[in-house]
Amino acid sequence: MDDASALMARVRKRDAAAFEEIYDAYHRLVYGVALRMLDDVSAAEDVTQAVFLKVWSSPEGFTSGNFGAWIGRVARNRALDIIRSRAARPTSELPEAMPAEDALEDVAFANLDAEKVRRALARLPAEQRDLIELGFFGGITHEELARRTSTPLGTVKTRIRSGLHRLRSELNGVVTI
Amino acid sequence: MNSAHNDELMDLTAAYALGALPPQDAAIVRDHLRTCAECRAEYDALRPAVDALAQSAQACRTGENGPHASDLIKARVMRTVRQEAAPGSTSRPRPMLWPAYVVAAASVVLAIGTAVANSILSSNLHQAQSQIALLSGELQVANRNAAVQRQMVADLMSKDAQRFAFSDGEVVRRGDRMYIAMHAMHPPPKGHVYQAWTEENGAKTMAPSVTFMPDRTGVAVISLPVNASAIQYVAVSVEPEGGSKQPTTKPEFVVKTG
Repeated sequence: MDDASALMARVRKRDAAAFEEIYDAYHRLVYGVALRMLDDVSAAEDVTQAVFLKVWSSPEGFTSGNFGAWIGRVARNRALDIIRSRAARPTSELPEAMPAEDALEDVAFANLDAEKVRRALARLPAEQRDLIELGFFGGITHEELARRTSTPLGTVKTRIRSGLHRLRSELNGVVTI
Repeated sequence: MNSAHNDELMDLTAAYALGALPPQDAAIVRDHLRTCAECRAEYDALRPAVDALAQSAQACRTGENGPHASDLIKARVMRTVRQEAAPGSTSRPRPMLWPAYVVAAASVVLAIGTAVANSILSSNLHQAQSQIALLSGELQVANRNAAVQRQMVADLMSKDAQRFAFSDGEVVRRGDRMYIAMHAMHPPPKGHVYQAWTEENGAKTMAPSVTFMPDRTGVAVISLPVNASAIQYVAVSVEPEGGSKQPTTKPEFVVKTG
C-alpha cells in the first residue's frame, strides 16, 4: 500500500489530519488540470474545492491503485462537467467522462512529476502532441479534433494512438510503473 | 479479427483511453474491452500515459487571485472536514490558514495578557500591596491595548471587512477603521523606515501617516489613524527616520480604497 492509499484508508475513518496530507500532496494536480481545461482561475478553484470535498464525503470512490492517477481523472471529469454545462453543443458531441473507478487493472507511473511529463511530451512530434493535449485538456471528441485541425478522422485516431505509445515509451525511460 | 479491423479498434481504444470518444462510441469500446484481450492489453498499455498527462498540468501553486487564494481554498475545504472529522482526529500543525499578520496581531494580545498575569502571580503580598496602584494603572493601559489589539484581530478576520489586496499584503477596511497588513517585507535601509500615506476623497495629494518597521519575520500590521470611509488611496514608501512630509521614494504600493 503506498502512502496515499494508507492515507485514504485513514480518511475513510474520518481522519482530518490524513485528509489534510492528501490535500497538500495533490491540490496542485487537481487545480492544474482544472485550470488547463477551463482557463478560468475561479472555476479551477471551484473544481479543486469540489473534488476534495468529494474525496472527503465519498472516500470509497478510491478503491486501490495509484491515487494520483485516480484523482487526476476525477479532476478531469469534474472540469468536463463544467465544460458540458457551458457548451451549446449536444451532449452526444462531448466526450464521455473517463472511468475513474475502472474494473481494469490500475497501473500508473510512479514518481512522476510535471517536469518529466512536460519534457516527454516535448519530444513527441508536434502533430501527435497537439492532438493528445487538445483531446485530453480540451474536453472534445476525436471527431471535433479532426474538424478543428482539418485532419481526416482516421489520421487523428492513428496519431493519438501513436503519440500515446510514444509518450509511454518516453516516460519508460525516466520513471517506472 | 483481421488486421485492418484490429487497427481500427486499436485506434478507437486509444481515443477511448484519452477520453476523447462521445458516449455512444465509448460504450461500444467499453463493451469490446471486456471480451477482447488484445484491445484490453492495448488500453492497459496506453492508460498510464494518459494518466501522466494530468501530471503535466500540475500547477506550481493553487490560486492566482491573490497571495492567500491557495490558503483560502484549503481553509474552505478544511472547515467542512474538521466539522465532520472523527473525534481526536486533529489536523497537523500547519501553516497558517490565517494570514501571518493576523497571527502576529493575535500573539500580541496573548503576550499582553500573559505579562500581566505573570507580573501579578510573581508579586508577593507585600510587594503587591505597594504596587497595587501601579499595577492597576498598568493593567488599565494593558487592557486598553489588548482591546485595541482584539479589535484589530476581529477586524482583520472579519468576513464583512473590505480587502484591497496588493502584492505582499492587503489594506483592510471595516467600518471607519483601516489597516495595512503586510508580509514578506524587507528591512528598510539603515536610517530609514516605512511610512504610510493616505489620500482623502477629492484630495489631490497624499498626506503623511504613521511610520513603522516590520518585525523580524517581515510582518507589519498598521492601524491607520484615519476615518476609513473618507480615504480613497493608501500607499507605503521608504522614508528617512522620522518620516517625510511628501514621499521621497517610489511607493512600495498604492491601493485605491474609495
